[in-house]
Amino acid sequence: MAGSGSSEIVNSTAAQYAPYILLLPMLAFPVILFLGKMFNGNKVWKETLKEGGLIALAFMGASLGLSLWLVSDFIGAYGGVQKLSDWTWFTSSMWSSGVVTTEITFGFGVHIDHITVMLLFIASFLCLLINTFAIGYMNTDPINDNRNHRFYAEFVLFCSGMLGMVLADSFLWLFIFWELMGLCSYLLIGFYYERPSAAYAAKKAFLTTRVGDVFLMVGLAVLWDLFGSLDYAVVFNEYNIEKVAASNPGSLAWALGLMFIGAVGKSAQFPLHVWLPDAMEGPTPVSALIHAATMVNAGLYLVARMFHFFGAESMHGELADLAFIIAAIGGTTAVMAAAIAFVQQDLKKVLAYSTMSQLAYIFTGLGAALYLANTLHWHEYLGDGTKNPDYYANHAIVIVAFGAALFHLFNHAMAKGMLFMASGAVIHEVHHAHHHLHPHDDHHDEEPKELLMLANYLAETGQSVFGFFNAIDLDQSGEVDTYEFQKALKEANIADLPPWEMGPLMKALDMDGNGRINVPELELTLGRVHLASLGGHDDHHDEFDAQSMENMGGLASKMPLTATAMLVGSLSIMGFPLIGGFWSKEGIIANTWRVALEDPRFFYPAMCVLLGAGMTGFYMSRMWLKTFAGSPKTDVAAHVHPTNTWIKTPLFILTFFSLAGILFASMGFTHWAPDREYGLMSDHGGLWGGFLYEMEHVFANEKMFFFILTYVALFIGAVVGPGLALSLYGGKLDDGEEVLPWFGPVLAVNQYVKSRYHWDNSSFGQSGFATALENRLYFDHYYDLAMLKIVAAFSFKAAETDSSVIDGTVKMIERTSQQISTKLRSLTTGSARDYILMAALGTLGLFALIWGVVA
Amino acid sequence: MEQIEPFADGFVLALAPEFVLVIGLFTLMIVPNMGDAKFRIPLTQIRVPWLLGGKRGKLDSDPRLPGLFATVFFTIAFGLTALSFVNGMIKTQIVTANGTTMLQIDEFSRMFELIFFGALALASAASVNRLPATSRADRSLNGLYNNRRQVDFYILLITTGLGMAVVALAQDLFMLFIGLELASFSTYVLVSFMKESKEGTEAGMKYFIVGSVASGVGLYGLSLLYLWSGSLQFTDLSIAFAENGMEALPLIALGMLLVGFGFKVSAAPFHFAAPDAYAGATAPVAGVLATASKAMGVLGLLRLLLVVASPEATDGSAVWLVALGVLSVITMTWGNLAALGSTNPKRMLAYSSVAHAGYMLAAITAIGALNWEDGHVDMSNDAALVVVTALIFHLTVLVCFKLGAFLVLSLLESENGGHTLESLGGLAKRDPFLAVAMFIFMMSLAGVPPLSGFVSKLLVIMGIVKVALLDVTVNSDLVFADIHWVWYLALLMVINSAISVFYYLRVGLVMYFHEPEEGREGALPKGAPVRFAIIACLITTIYFGVGAGQLIALCESAANALVGAW
Repeated sequence: MAGSGSSEIVNSTAAQYAPYILLLPMLAFPVILFLGKMFNGNKVWKETLKEGGLIALAFMGASLGLSLWLVSDFIGAYGGVQKLSDWTWFTSSMWSSGVVTTEITFGFGVHIDHITVMLLFIASFLCLLINTFAIGYMNTDPINDNRNHRFYAEFVLFCSGMLGMVLADSFLWLFIFWELMGLCSYLLIGFYYERPSAAYAAKKAFLTTRVGDVFLMVGLAVLWDLFGSLDYAVVFNEYNIEKVAASNPGSLAWALGLMFIGAVGKSAQFPLHVWLPDAMEGPTPVSALIHAATMVNAGLYLVARMFHFFGAESMHGELADLAFIIAAIGGTTAVMAAAIAFVQQDLKKVLAYSTMSQLAYIFTGLGAALYLANTLHWHEYLGDGTKNPDYYANHAIVIVAFGAALFHLFNHAMAKGMLFMASGAVIHEVHHAHHHLHPHDDHHDEEPKELLMLANYLAETGQSVFGFFNAIDLDQSGEVDTYEFQKALKEANIADLPPWEMGPLMKALDMDGNGRINVPELELTLGRVHLASLGGHDDHHDEFDAQSMENMGGLASKMPLTATAMLVGSLSIMGFPLIGGFWSKEGIIANTWRVALEDPRFFYPAMCVLLGAGMTGFYMSRMWLKTFAGSPKTDVAAHVHPTNTWIKTPLFILTFFSLAGILFASMGFTHWAPDREYGLMSDHGGLWGGFLYEMEHVFANEKMFFFILTYVALFIGAVVGPGLALSLYGGKLDDGEEVLPWFGPVLAVNQYVKSRYHWDNSSFGQSGFATALENRLYFDHYYDLAMLKIVAAFSFKAAETDSSVIDGTVKMIERTSQQISTKLRSLTTGSARDYILMAALGTLGLFALIWGVVA
Repeated sequence: MEQIEPFADGFVLALAPEFVLVIGLFTLMIVPNMGDAKFRIPLTQIRVPWLLGGKRGKLDSDPRLPGLFATVFFTIAFGLTALSFVNGMIKTQIVTANGTTMLQIDEFSRMFELIFFGALALASAASVNRLPATSRADRSLNGLYNNRRQVDFYILLITTGLGMAVVALAQDLFMLFIGLELASFSTYVLVSFMKESKEGTEAGMKYFIVGSVASGVGLYGLSLLYLWSGSLQFTDLSIAFAENGMEALPLIALGMLLVGFGFKVSAAPFHFAAPDAYAGATAPVAGVLATASKAMGVLGLLRLLLVVASPEATDGSAVWLVALGVLSVITMTWGNLAALGSTNPKRMLAYSSVAHAGYMLAAITAIGALNWEDGHVDMSNDAALVVVTALIFHLTVLVCFKLGAFLVLSLLESENGGHTLESLGGLAKRDPFLAVAMFIFMMSLAGVPPLSGFVSKLLVIMGIVKVALLDVTVNSDLVFADIHWVWYLALLMVINSAISVFYYLRVGLVMYFHEPEEGREGALPKGAPVRFAIIACLITTIYFGVGAGQLIALCESAANALVGAW
């Protein structure tokens, strides 16, 4: 890192192989896709190879192996920055922009520092686990049959996007892989593209993140303008930052601010958060992938990457405002998302909002750390070259603040990955149980309602299909086209649909796919619709939602491992003492308050994260209690079975990782930094020393303020929030249900609190605020409105301009070119005489030109 | 540097690739004619086996034999040429007893030989399928009958290769002309080889007439040069030009040479016969015309314009600067515009090849614009190196994707298609591999990254811009008045590239979105050799784009050999 003397380039063997970490999954993408196309439906492919799942697993395993090698190598070498350019496409000295460089190299290189290593491990490790989970989840659901290869192919591409983004050595490559992830998120969220809601969610995720990406792109362009390069080696160079700081510090703040908006979109922060809950439309492994391993971490990674700018001595104090904005956005989102999570009934949606809220914590923590890095003199030497008297104190503060945010990223990723997979296991099993109990419910024929209305209309008016058809077949061609059918529906007062919404109707009717409807098609379809409306009537009334917590309850005894995983994950997210997220969350809260003591503006994010701690305690407890405690709310929940091994394995591993938070903290992950002074396991005398140090630091801080703060946060997060939930939800399991021993105390406390302090929250449930929360604070509504009113109007105009002016110009150019082309080609008469004549003319012309130069 | 007299020690070794072709020539003449003929010693009854003639065996009457032979010999020649790079090139001259340098072997000539032999090897491999041996009922276009006629085809290919090799090695106007004509005459016949078809004959005839006129003009230019300086040696001519090159006689000769080589590279307005010839010839032959033959023309231009008539006008730039600049502008624009409306893919590729000639002429123009006065020479040398490197790189990768495109068409030709764009319709469904290959070739022709076509275009443009900005001080703001006008050639190249995307992409459109023509729904012929050649083209097209570094280094060593000769 800049200034601390550890920026030497180490080029280890592990780093030489680093590109393969991303190349392997990228290679797996075409392999799985093409094999899947070739062997679709093949028995071996389906059962032995799990439709490509095992191939993906092998590639991801190799990728993880290389990552682990790199990580251990990095830790062993006490960090340092490693950079190697593996592949140089070409170097150009033609373009020189900005004040910094004149030579540009096109190629791909790998940049490895402590941030890279952290994210690299998270991404490759979780991708592998989620892949394992997906084999148990996707391949056992018949709805996915014969298209799982598409899932695995897109899955590995997504992983390679994340791994590439983390490893890239320039913002340009970061952006390329960033967009690759954007594309894959679109494909995966819309995996069930035949469901309109999934298609809509995919579009929404894609477009919302795109809004951020545009800003990111502009930010990168500004950065390019300042530095003349986007390579980390250039833009993170202390000397280059100094030059830019001397000439144009404001522009750098703008560039970083714009890039931050990109991160806001990708990490689903206020106000670009609306895509994330809808992204739950994808299969659960995709949710886990997006929310734990990859996509949302990308935004955090980008902000963490900016540390070099904030930490540069020459930028001292210039970027404090931006740091505050980052923290404020984080604080706002933390509280808002937690509040919305209060009222969600959908298991995955609770987790979605929890993700949003926890990411906001990390943003707040990063904001605080960046603020400290920017306003404290924490380098060994000051800008004027003199020795910094406060070096040791300030350096420690900055490193610990930054480390806390990164550590929370790690803890959250592990816990959330586990939670999503556990929720997936629950949903999977509830769904199966439901399928088992009510085998017919899944066969909803989703006929457009207009057709049913048409069938009823014909029955009521007593018309025959043939007569109706003849009446609407205006041109008497024997077939009806979209326009005629639309007119008929309008005249029958069934629907007044614009032509572009007639698609589904026409599709439902059009059996031979020629775009037109004839009598047999109409007759058959209307008959089918009519029958379905009579026969399947009951089914339509109870649409069973396997994701709703209203349909669960009491699963602790049915799915013990899943319940354990979910419990540990929830505790980690809540910041329950000594488990996973506790260490990092305390760090974030403490550091935000530390900044608040210096800059009063930070009271806002500081209050937000403190409040958010309690809210997290509430909604996470609520989720667990509603799902696993109490008696089953439906007959389905009473018949759930434990899940399969593919699903259990990753849950088991991740449970360990969340529980081992105390181990990681003792190892020094709380100040995960590149400096030699802060090497892992070394600074506090090994594991035990580190443990003692952390315990003392957290529970018995010397400074009175932080001592009190710790216990306040603990009280709010681990007592008040969960306590409220305990008093409202859950309860005793049904009699005779056996549970694992560690659920005993939890359920006992639950039962006690619920019976002792239970209160009626129905008035709150019916209040306007709850309704607003259920409607996600109307963000989607107003965004839609704004889209419709402003953007749609604008886009109509734009479309007009496009077709008349732009297309017109293009068409004119095309037409003119074609005319010239025809003229030119007409000179090629086909007669050799003419050819020689033209050559002679050319000869004369050449002589004239040479003569002109000479004379 | 080594100097060897003809047929002295080391002569054969130095010219090993060429001798391999000569051996190939004789092998092709002899082997397919071997039979069980016997020779009776006169006045006796003793019959001695004579082998030539008589009833042929099964193996040597196999119609595929000549094609395979030719491919093998070209591959060996290619390998030997490449080997000379691997072993470290020793600059070698073939001199006569009285000290006249005839041929010179260095990186530059060997690099071009790689291009020639590579293209010809691919073309002959592709023709093994292209000239089917089974006699067909209609015997119209594709019936090629016995292997004797096959032999003729491959002999002509080999003589083409030999001629081109001589052009690459020539250090003397006489050798240059000999090589040029050997290659040209062989290609005239190759173009009209399909004598059963009207187009083939007509195309060959036209190509021959216009080509011989151009050759005649060029030869006249050569003789004027000889008349003027009394020498045919490049080195002598170069000195003579430097001393008093502004006299009328050498300038007239220069203009005539430009006409001669203008035809060879198919620069407008000397290109007219080219589209006809490409359309009439079989696709592999057209591919050779568009790549190897064009490289030969560019090679000649480089030798003559840069070595012999090296830049010397009053302001330090070349006397042919304006003429060549105008020629390049007309050529690239004409080629691209004419290609827009072509519905015959072979004609389209022909016009695209005219456009590429324009780009290459622009690059040569840029070298002419350099200031060669004292004090500038070092910088000029550097810039010239960049441009020549770009040119050689361009010519090399052209073999990959332009020839590749022709080879794809050659498979279509074997089912009587390939003459209309619509015959490519639905290719994606009929043969996905071919469609992907063709699409990548088209993308590369259009210059889409990361394919080699992009790198080559970028290098040429970068070279031109480098020359144009050479006199502009690095850190001052750009003032347009300071920039040499050759900069606009680069701009025009970019605009022309944009136009060209239209017709290249149209091929993709037809392949992927149009339905197959009636009667063309089935699978395409198998043709292992031609597919193998296409795969080779495809791999190199991609590899030289992604990993351009090695090839650029190779081209730079070649360019160094030429630029060092100034």
